[in-house]
Amino acid sequence: MQCDDLGPEMLEYLAGTLPDDRLAEIRAHLAQCQACRDEVDATAELWHELGAASAPRPESARMRARFDAALQGYIDGQAESRVVSLAAVRRPAAQWQPWLQLCGAAALLIIGVGLGRFVTVPPAQSNPEIALLREELRDTRQMVTLSLLQQQSASERLKGVTTSSQLEQPGTEVVSALLDTLKRDPNVNVRLASVDALRRFSGREAVRKGVVEALPQQESPLVQIAMVDFILEAAGPDAKGVLQRLAEDMMLNQAVRARAERGLKQVGL
Amino acid sequence: MRAVRDGDLTRMGVLFERHHRPLFDFLYRMTGDRGAAEDLVQDVFVRMLRYRATYRDDGRFETWMFRIARNVRADHYRKHGAAIYVPDDDMDWASSEPGPGHLLERARDMARLKRALQTLREDRRELIVMVRYQGLTHEQVGAILGVDAGTVKVRFHRALKELRDAFSRVPEGE
Repeated sequence: MQCDDLGPEMLEYLAGTLPDDRLAEIRAHLAQCQACRDEVDATAELWHELGAASAPRPESARMRARFDAALQGYIDGQAESRVVSLAAVRRPAAQWQPWLQLCGAAALLIIGVGLGRFVTVPPAQSNPEIALLREELRDTRQMVTLSLLQQQSASERLKGVTTSSQLEQPGTEVVSALLDTLKRDPNVNVRLASVDALRRFSGREAVRKGVVEALPQQESPLVQIAMVDFILEAAGPDAKGVLQRLAEDMMLNQAVRARAERGLKQVGL
Repeated sequence: MRAVRDGDLTRMGVLFERHHRPLFDFLYRMTGDRGAAEDLVQDVFVRMLRYRATYRDDGRFETWMFRIARNVRADHYRKHGAAIYVPDDDMDWASSEPGPGHLLERARDMARLKRALQTLREDRRELIVMVRYQGLTHEQVGAILGVDAGTVKVRFHRALKELRDAFSRVPEGE
């Protein structure tokens, strides 16, 4: 195997998705090639750093409203084009129709706001219903999240992980499902995303413990590095013991050990 | 999408709900402009409606959707000039908040990486966005770009290498 052969397969090597025979060839080459080892470490580092850059969330409600209006316009346009072909001559009043509709809508809005002020139920009475609705909505979102995390398609599961981060107060089931995804999902990107999603719950002892326990089971150095960062951020100086063990574990990938060593320096050991 | 293609246009709402976020993410990372990305997402869904008859069951929906998204983005550049990628300040560089030593150091590295990404050629950046942020496989990206998975691997490796080179050229103090 030549050094140039490694490049295109490096990501699959880091992700742990190469077939065993190819993996053995690459490992044998890495054992005797310092330049390639450095290359692998640098790529793993870069891949991980890229993951830290998340884009802003879209204004979903506004976008959906815009799209619904466009969709309705498209559907109406289709229906209208069928009618127009039958009635070629436009009625004179029709040209005023959009203005009449606009004025009507504005009038209804004003009336609605006015009526709303008069008939608004005091908060004390309306709260239980609203709270119930919110709870139902949250349950539905949780169900959607859990269902997405069970899908066969990796992009659907990735969506599930993303959706979980949009839940205001996710229940234990969702957190457990995220931990399970981190431990068992076959896709590296899904596992990486689950580490990010779990950051919200890093204050929970069970989550920190779950991540620490899951680390040795990981095959991908990329995910392991993300988990080392998680442990470092979540536990701070308390992570010393775990980081020390990781830095000394010769079974781990060199890049992971290097990250653990760096973490130890950060926490002042 | 099959239902939409066969005439049930109201199902587009479901597709919008499922896919507008990854589309926004892709278009935002490519344009660096939140407003433009939101507009382009709308355009993608409108084109899906118009060209729904071209959807085939044999291809994955995401592949078809991203092909449309690339065309929409290309048309946008034709109208408004080539992309000058200057990410909004609201791009969340996870550890960019000021803080103790290592966080600050990490924030500096993030800022350098951001600058390095800006300098990449658009096709290189697109590959990184599709593989790293959209979680698409080499095969899926190949189907979107019209090349085989092996070519994607080679190009992707080249893109990452260029990014690393660009990153090392950005001064540390930046």
